[in-house]
Formats: sequence, C-alpha cells, structure tokens
Amino acid sequence: MAEEFNTQGMLDMYLFENGQLLERLQEIVLEQKDEDCFDEDSINEIFRTMHTIKGSSGVMMFDEITKISHKLEDVFFYLRESKPDNVPHLELVEHVLQVADFITGEMDKIQDGETADGDASEIVAEIDKFLTAIKNGEGEQEKDIKENVHEEPQQFYIAPMATSASHFYKIYLTFHPDVQLANVHAYKTVYALKEIAEDLMHYPEDIISDESSADEIIENGFKILLQAQCSEAELREIVKEGYDIKKVEVYECSAKEFQQGFDSFGTEIRIDLESSVEEIEAKAEQAQNAESANAPKKEPEKQKIAPGDFVIESKEPGKGKKLAKDKPKKQEKAQFISVDVHKMDMLMDLIGELVISESVVLQNQDLKVPGLKLDNFNKAAGQMTKISTDLQNVIMSMRMMPLTNTFQKMNRIVFDVSRKLGKEIEFEMIGEHTEVDKNIIEHISDPLMHLVRNAVDHGIETVEERQASGKTEKGKITLKAKTESGKVWISVQDNGKGLNRDKILAKARKQGIIDPYKPDSAYADKEVYQFITLPGFSTNEKVTEYSGRGVGMDVVVSNLASIGGTLEIESSPGQGSTMNLKIPLTLSIIDGIVMEVGKSSFVIETGSVKEFVGAREDMLYREPSGEEFVMIRGEGYPVIRIGEWYNLKDYKADPNDGMLVLVEIEEQIVCLFVDRLVGKQEIVVKPIPDYIKKVKGLSGCTQLGDGSIALILDAPGLIE
Amino acid sequence: MSEFATQQDKYVTFKSGNEYFALKIQYVNEIIVFQEITEVPESEDYIKGLINLRGKIIPVIDVRVRFKQEPIDYTDRTCIIVINVKETVVGLIVEKIAEVVEITEENILPPPSATIGHEDKTQNKYVYGIGKVGESVKLLLDPDRLLKDEDLTMLEKVSEETDLEEGE
Repeated sequence: MAEEFNTQGMLDMYLFENGQLLERLQEIVLEQKDEDCFDEDSINEIFRTMHTIKGSSGVMMFDEITKISHKLEDVFFYLRESKPDNVPHLELVEHVLQVADFITGEMDKIQDGETADGDASEIVAEIDKFLTAIKNGEGEQEKDIKENVHEEPQQFYIAPMATSASHFYKIYLTFHPDVQLANVHAYKTVYALKEIAEDLMHYPEDIISDESSADEIIENGFKILLQAQCSEAELREIVKEGYDIKKVEVYECSAKEFQQGFDSFGTEIRIDLESSVEEIEAKAEQAQNAESANAPKKEPEKQKIAPGDFVIESKEPGKGKKLAKDKPKKQEKAQFISVDVHKMDMLMDLIGELVISESVVLQNQDLKVPGLKLDNFNKAAGQMTKISTDLQNVIMSMRMMPLTNTFQKMNRIVFDVSRKLGKEIEFEMIGEHTEVDKNIIEHISDPLMHLVRNAVDHGIETVEERQASGKTEKGKITLKAKTESGKVWISVQDNGKGLNRDKILAKARKQGIIDPYKPDSAYADKEVYQFITLPGFSTNEKVTEYSGRGVGMDVVVSNLASIGGTLEIESSPGQGSTMNLKIPLTLSIIDGIVMEVGKSSFVIETGSVKEFVGAREDMLYREPSGEEFVMIRGEGYPVIRIGEWYNLKDYKADPNDGMLVLVEIEEQIVCLFVDRLVGKQEIVVKPIPDYIKKVKGLSGCTQLGDGSIALILDAPGLIE
Repeated sequence: MSEFATQQDKYVTFKSGNEYFALKIQYVNEIIVFQEITEVPESEDYIKGLINLRGKIIPVIDVRVRFKQEPIDYTDRTCIIVINVKETVVGLIVEKIAEVVEITEENILPPPSATIGHEDKTQNKYVYGIGKVGESVKLLLDPDRLLKDEDLTMLEKVSEETDLEEGE
C-alpha cells in the first residue's frame, strides 16, 4: 500500500514537472517560430528540456516518451554542435510541437489512469528523416562543421561587411605549457573577442568538444583570424598575457590575407613581420625539437583547411545569434512552488476562522465590564487586526495567476490553424501578465479558444483575398487583456473581413428571431452581431459560411455567463472584428453590500448596485396584477421585496422602514426592497452546499465577520 | 486497521420523539452544540439552513421534521451531529444525544416494515435494522436515505430503468 502511494507521488511529480517543461518548450518554440532559426539559448534550452524529459520518463518507464524525446534531443544536439544553416525552420518547429503534443497526450492518459499506449514510432521516423535531411544537406562539409566552434552557421566566404574602418588581425597565442585544459582558456579568449568581432576564425577549430585540441594548442599555439573595427591596442586590452597566456602576438594584415585563412599564417609571420624574427626563428627551432617539453610552438605542418571554409558572416541580419543579442533581456523569472489547491482552500478557511475568533475575542462580553482599563489590550488588539487583514490579502493574492499560459495556448492555436488553412497570420499578445483568479482562468480557456479559432478560420481572409482587397498579406490577430474597475477585459481582435450585417439579418429573419414588421435599420449593429450568439443560429452552417462566424458562439456565451462574464461584438466590414469579453476578476472574493432582511443577511455585488434610495410609501405603486413599481425621478422601476420573494419571517413590510437598492442587470434596472443596509465589505464567496437545491436568485453564501452566514444575491437570477 | 476494528459495531445513539436512533460511528464526524442557523429560502422544511462549522458552511437538517414528528423548540440540550456520507457533510439536529453503544451483528434484526409491510410509516424508510442493546431497542438509521429527498428514490428507480434501456 505504502509503495503504491509512493509511486503515485512520483508520478504526480513527473506529470507536474514535465507539464511545466512542455509549456515552457512551446513558449520558446512559438516565440521564435517566425524567425529564420532558433537562437543559441533556445536550442540549448530545448535540448535540456528533452534531456530532462527523456531521463524522467526513462525512470518512470514510459518507453515511447523516452524514445521520442531522445530523438528530438538528437536533433537539437546536432543543431547545437554543428549549427547547420540549412534547417527548414518551420518544419523543425512543427516537429518540436508534434513531439510536445505527443508527450502531452501520453501524459494526459497517464493522468487519467490509463496506460500510455501511444505509438511514437511514426513521429520518430519522421524526425529521423528530417535529421538525415539536414545532415545530408551539409554534404561533405559535415566533418568540418562538427569541428566548428562558432555559433554561426557555416558559410562560404561572402564579401565581409568590411568598412574602411575594419581591420584584419592575426593573433597568435602561446600558452604556458603547464596550463591545464588549454582549449578552455583558448575558448575564453575567443569568447571575449566575439564581442568586437565582425568576423572571427581560429585554429584548432574544435576547442570545445575535442579535448586533444588542448595538447595541440600547447604544442602549436592558438591562432585567431579576426576582423574587427578596433585598433591593435584595444585588441591587446582584450587579449592579454596572463597566468595562462604566455605570449600574445597581434599582426595586422590585409583583407586578402584574411580571406586566405590559415594557409597564409605561417608564411606571413616569417615574411612580413620582421619585428618578430627572433620569435619565428625560435619557433622554427622548436619545431625541430618538438619533443622537448619547453617547446610549445610549432608551425602546423599540414593545413588541410581550404581558405574561406571557416569564414563566417557574423553580422548577417536575421540570423539566430544576432537575434539573441537583440532580444530584450528576459524578465527575471519568478520562483514558484506548487501547492495543492485543497491546502490553499484549507488555509483560506482557517484564516476565515481566525478572523471570526478574533472578533469573538475583541468583542467579548467580559471586556464590557465597566471600569476596566483596556489601553494595552486595545493596542495589542489593533496590531493583531492589522496582521490578520494582511494575512487575508496575501491569501487572496495567492489565488491569482497571470493569463500568460492561456495566451500562449492561443498562440499555438493561431499557429496550427493558420498553417492548416494556409493563411499568414501574425499573433500579438498584450497584457498577458494580467492576473486573474485561477478558477476564472480555467473557465475562459475554452471560450477564448473558440474565439481565436473563429478569428483565424473565418475572420482572417486568405492571402489572395487580402491581396485583392488591398490589405497586407499577413493577417493579424491581437489578444489583449487588462483589468479595469474590478473586471478583466479580454479582447480578440482580427483585421479580417468583419461580420456581414445584411447576411446575419437575412438569416435572423428567416429563422423568425426578429420582428418581421421592424425594418432592418431599426436594429443597431451591436444587436445584429449579438444574433450570432443565439443557440441554433450559430450551428447553422450556412450562416457560418455567410457571416464567417458562429461556430459554437452560443457555447462561448453560456460558458462566459457561468462565471458572470459577458461577450460584446464589434465589427466593421472589411476591417475586422473585435470580441470583447468582460469577466469578473475573481469568483471567490467579491466586493459586496451587506443587507438585512428579517433575520437573514444578504449580499449583493457592489458593481451591480446603482444607488440606494430611502423608501417612502408614496413612491410605491402596486399594479392590479400584484406587481409593484417605484417612481424615482419620474422613472418607474419594478420592485422586488426580498422578504416577500423568499417568504422570510419578520421582515419589514412598511416601505417607510426599509431601503431601496437599485440594481442594474443587463441594462435593466430593478429595485430591491430590503430592511436595512449593513455595510460594504469584501466577502469570500462559498458555494451553497450541493445538498441544498439551487435557489433562484442565490449564487452562493459567505461568512460575515461575526461568523454568521449571508446569502449572496445573484442579480440576473432575480429577474429571470 | 486497528481504528476500524475499534469502530466496528459502534453506534452513536440519539433520542428523537420517543424512539432512540442509532448511526454507525464511521459516518459521524463530530458532535457540536447547537448554533445559529441561517435559513435558506425555498428549501425543504426539514432543511433548516446553513451553519458555519469552522469556516466550512454546511447544511443542517432537523431529524424530527425529517421523521414527520412534531417539531420542538431548540434548547441547550439540542445537538448537531455532523455526519459525512459519501463526501456530503450534513449536520443533523437532534433533541438529545444518548450514548455510544456497541451492537453486534447478531443483535440486529431486520426492520419490521420489511416483515410486516407497513411501508407508509415514514421513519421505516430510513431504518434498515433494529438493534437490541440489553432491554432497549435502537433503530438503526441508513444515513444515505436520511439525506436523500423522498422523491429521489423514485427518480433513482426511473434512472436505473433508463440506464438499463440504454444498456440494451
């Protein structure tokens, strides 16, 4: 039993960690899907991610996941080591996403307690093919490439971006013979030079993975060809003699010599640079006495490297390396730990309890004995109240999560769907760091997905259509989030063709939704667009075809309604549409007005309250049908007497004693008649236990400061 | 295992009307003193409302009303037995807690309604057996049925039938 439990713990951890890794993976991939290639950091990170997943899956014995992650790891290992430049980037992106999908799918199965029985062999075979293709693309150069230490892809020499200010240098480093790992020291130098280099090559080429290069460097020295704009003095600042480098020789040379590569190295030292004659002579001697321990330098006997093979355009625009440098520095990543939600809920409950017992202590009857000196007590009590308030605020904020992951998922959808449909779409996210309660996030993911998919599928036109209408070929979808007045506003905006008002109206007429005697012009655009959210309307394929919208729009709206959100549609023909979602920040904490009716307390969300009016008998009118109205400033509003509505005992029937609360519900104003207003406070929403049947107009309950329970009025439920 | 063994055959008994009822102790979370109840409108008469049990809001039902006995006023002897039946936590308002007794298997008889057929007696719906403890008799309550709505049993039957049909 205990053993089983342990495996479960491990499995949970496995699923959780890998889930996070995969999310991050997708984020990286999608971030750079539009570039020409991945930058170095990303390649490394993807490689590491795959390595980790491979390792943990191996331990958990999920063979297929291990296999597939190993394959992708191979690809990225090759990319990392060889930096080929002929990688079809989009294809690679697809492969990575494919693998991510596969693993996610398998993990879902595992999570649901099923066996991870997916077959990775097809994807593995595809990736294999892909890998072979990029390897072959390199052709005979492959061997050389493998030895290359540059981040830059291999290229034949293209005219360097040499300006008149560019200088060409030959640098010759001699290391102390007793230096360990001379290749690493050499790399340090190369690395330092890269900062200023326009072009750089060195010999031996492979100083990273080939450890024998260390001996070679000690023996023959380390040669660097450098193109840079700095002066020799500056160069000497960077490459200095030190504990590891015995001697630095810098010679300026011509562009031609530079292009010749290392072939010219030895000869020129001898011929051109008289200043170092002694050196050269010494070297020549040493070459003959190569065995001697004190003879670290030797001219390379054979230079099989062809000129230009190692010349790399380092500043060619659009290449990974450059991008990596230009990219704004990533924000520091926050540290997270994962906590069981139940524990969070427990903590929440406990804090609620604490607040209650606090008020029990502070308002204890015993303190009310006359003549007690309570100064110190009150001071301490004040301190305690402050702490418990802080505590409450912290726990509330702990439930908030940024929308980043949800938005990222949308990015993926845009990518997938647009590829499938052959549309070119740019995706932009604004305000993805907006924080929303975790529960809400879970609820908006699906509606958002619908909207984004609709925007890609129906909103954005095909490339040809866009060209025909004189738009940019690339469509654009913008996902925006912001918080305003206690709500989250999320909008999905596309610059596609927009909704077709006439077609929707025609359809609505056909379906008999609208008054046949009302002319089309009597309907505002907004009203017309709302039709597409009606059930039945949207499922009709013809409308989808015509209007370009509607797949499951009623589902979107009903999903949103379940968390108290609304959808508003804006559109202008030919310029695109915007779907605006208005969603409460949190389900669990609302700012509420506490009211009393009879012995019961009720809470209504502050946001929906328009105003309070002290009731007077002469303001109220009762219609013969029994419906009651109130006249306020010449306008009549329906009145709901809460006490009557819920058959409560002991409520105040006399209008003069009570209070009217004007509540706005979906552009309609209703007046609630209650006994008394208690106050405004933040309340923690709790569901009414399932055991009690759903009561019309009540959306939950909450615990008030004194420990009593108040029922939360759900305004829309009251007018249904 | 040991905990289970000590709880085996133990029952919490309480008085409601003239009878003593018994609940298997495994279902009982705790017994608390009576506290203020918040009414929930439009619910069944036996559902008295909600109480705040250390931050957790749970519904409470009045066992007397549930058994169609005359309701009585709550006193300081009135208790709430908090039971947990299949993850549903509910408080039972009872007149008086009696004691915890042990009733072994052989001292449990089938309920009279099953043998004689007095199915109209409401409380028999909730009683699955009669336990003998010395000279006295305790009615063993099925908490599941106690919580469920009367109509639900009907509904369940219907749904079972439809399930069967669907199965075919």
